[in-house]
Amino acid sequence: MIRHSIRHIIRKEFTDVLRDGRFRWCAILVGALLLVSLGHGWVQAREAQREHAAAQATARDHWESQGEKNPHSAAHYGIYAFKPRLALSFVDEGVDPYTGTSVWLEAHRQNDFLLRPAQDATAAQRIGALTAAQVLQHLVPLLIILLTFGALAGERERGTLRQLLATGVGRRDLALGKTLGIAGALALLLVPAAAVGAAALVVGSPGPAASPVARAAVLAVVYLIYFAAFVALSLAVSAWARSTRTALVILLGVWVVNGLVAPRVAVDLSKWMHPTPSALEFARTVEREMASGTEDIARPDNEALTEGLLTEYGVERVEDLPINQSGVLLQASEEFGNRIFDRNYGALWDTFERQGAVHEMMAVAAPLLAVRALSMGLAGTDVEQHRHFAGAAETYRRDLMRRMNGDLTENSVSGDFSYQAGAELWESTPPLRYDAPTLAWVLGNRILSLVVLGGWLAGTILMAAARVRRAEVT
Amino acid sequence: MQTAESGAGRPPLLEARGLSKRYGATQALDALDLAIEPGEVYCLLGPNGAGKTTTINLFLGFVPPSAGQALVSGMDVSTHDRETKHRLAYIPEQVMLYRNLSGLENLEYFAALGGKGSLGRERLADILVEAGLERDAVDRRVSEYSKGMRQKVGIAIAMAKEADALLLDEPTSGLDPKASNEFSALIERLRHGGVAVLMATHDLFRAKETGTRVGIMRYGSLVTELGTDEIGHADLERVYLEHMHD
Repeated sequence: MIRHSIRHIIRKEFTDVLRDGRFRWCAILVGALLLVSLGHGWVQAREAQREHAAAQATARDHWESQGEKNPHSAAHYGIYAFKPRLALSFVDEGVDPYTGTSVWLEAHRQNDFLLRPAQDATAAQRIGALTAAQVLQHLVPLLIILLTFGALAGERERGTLRQLLATGVGRRDLALGKTLGIAGALALLLVPAAAVGAAALVVGSPGPAASPVARAAVLAVVYLIYFAAFVALSLAVSAWARSTRTALVILLGVWVVNGLVAPRVAVDLSKWMHPTPSALEFARTVEREMASGTEDIARPDNEALTEGLLTEYGVERVEDLPINQSGVLLQASEEFGNRIFDRNYGALWDTFERQGAVHEMMAVAAPLLAVRALSMGLAGTDVEQHRHFAGAAETYRRDLMRRMNGDLTENSVSGDFSYQAGAELWESTPPLRYDAPTLAWVLGNRILSLVVLGGWLAGTILMAAARVRRAEVT
Repeated sequence: MQTAESGAGRPPLLEARGLSKRYGATQALDALDLAIEPGEVYCLLGPNGAGKTTTINLFLGFVPPSAGQALVSGMDVSTHDRETKHRLAYIPEQVMLYRNLSGLENLEYFAALGGKGSLGRERLADILVEAGLERDAVDRRVSEYSKGMRQKVGIAIAMAKEADALLLDEPTSGLDPKASNEFSALIERLRHGGVAVLMATHDLFRAKETGTRVGIMRYGSLVTELGTDEIGHADLERVYLEHMHD
């Protein structure tokens, strides 16, 4: 009997919503934006991946065909590394436009990433760049609000709630039927978008990823939880509010706080709690420490190193060493620089992560912050995965420098500035092979967001259940 | 289950026992005692604020009583919400329907929720016609309906439910005389079918024409009760006005 009445409520809600011209136009608009942003993101990601692949091949070709030269010159010549675009990056480009996707690996320096689209974008482009993630995070909840704010408040206002409840239908059944009916109407919008996204993933995956299908499935579940929380919240407000106008104003207020205010507050609060230096300050600090060292990281003592080499090889003059002393000193300089970089970049990344944790904690007040963190994480475009790649690139750079300095040390002697290595050395240096983090690694980083989002769903469902039970009829 | 036995051994279909409702300092209904048997049409007369709609709301379980009981077939509405509602049909002053659905679709929906989902579309369309709706209007969207047409759909909803008791809250308010007469004829048919009717109204003429008993309410209390066979239209009006000017 209960299931029977719920089925009728679902069918009626679905029909009523579909016949409502306001829903049709809103759904067409949001659906079109979603499909266009998905398509645009996919084309852009595919194009970027192709450009990166071509640039990576060119960089490797330049490295291998740089001709004969001193290995230290080759170390300064350097090579570019490109962060691969993961399969789901077409859904959510995350921090990539701001952090950049390529880095020049050279001697003595840990360079910042280049190719930051946000840096080159015009103001109009910044406003107009709508990603599928933004549509899902901002516009779909708005559509849910527009569909749900009148669910019970509207029935009460029109007087149909009295007639409905007089039939003997339970409030819980009514609320459940309405929820499922609205979900059905939303599915008309979201299922085709999900199908297009899945097809884009399967047919022409724009990039490598650790378990892309599993990531996509988890991403879909994350967004479904987010939407379900919005439906439950809207239902609770609709059951509580005295009029549809009050319900709409409250829910639009929630939408503004969730989508516009909370992200801004999270940025300011996290920067206030965990300040980061400006790019100029940071560069100056690194430069100063590279020049004179720090209290616990001293510059290499070249005289002591030379004395050590003379003792090790049992000779009295540098010229008599069987190796090139310069290679050893250059490597010592590299290792000193590495410690300075680890100290400064490590502290900077840690600060970014602490800022990220503040964002995730603030998701208690705005579920968007949890969804955004999870969405970027699953798309492989969050700060943590940028750090993961930056770490891999830096490890590669250090290995490259070690190889160059090692070759200089082993194959020439001190004072011999004419030594030149050739293609054999360049080709023997393997290209950067980067393995993206696993899904478990991503979810492990985002456990707080998962818990907070789950809390939002449970909390809003409980709130809706309580409010529907106590909803006034008149 | 709480029951109250009537003289015939079965409880009245609708019964109020010391039924009271207080909203803050306002006594909306004060110790109402009332029993309506099958085949009776009980009209509650009184000005606005007399407690007529509060009585109906209490029978529908929309508000909890401050004291006393509202019983349907001997079952307390407060503790048997679903069972009592399945025995009741309700027609409000203004029947409100879903504008995007047709009259027939509205009836299908309300009938299904009232446990009559097995009635086919043809039977439901016939019920709409029996309730006075033109045949060619049943498939039109309700957004095109007049108030009278919506009221007829409301009557059809009550008819389709085949309830034991009918609660009517100013059902003829705003209807033209022809529609009001059709409505009275329909109530008469239902009454002969054994349905118990409780109708709140301002309309003295309709109460005399349709009702079997009339109760006059003022300030939440039932001040007098009359059988419609006992008095004429003029007498009813005189008694009513006497009580209103006390």
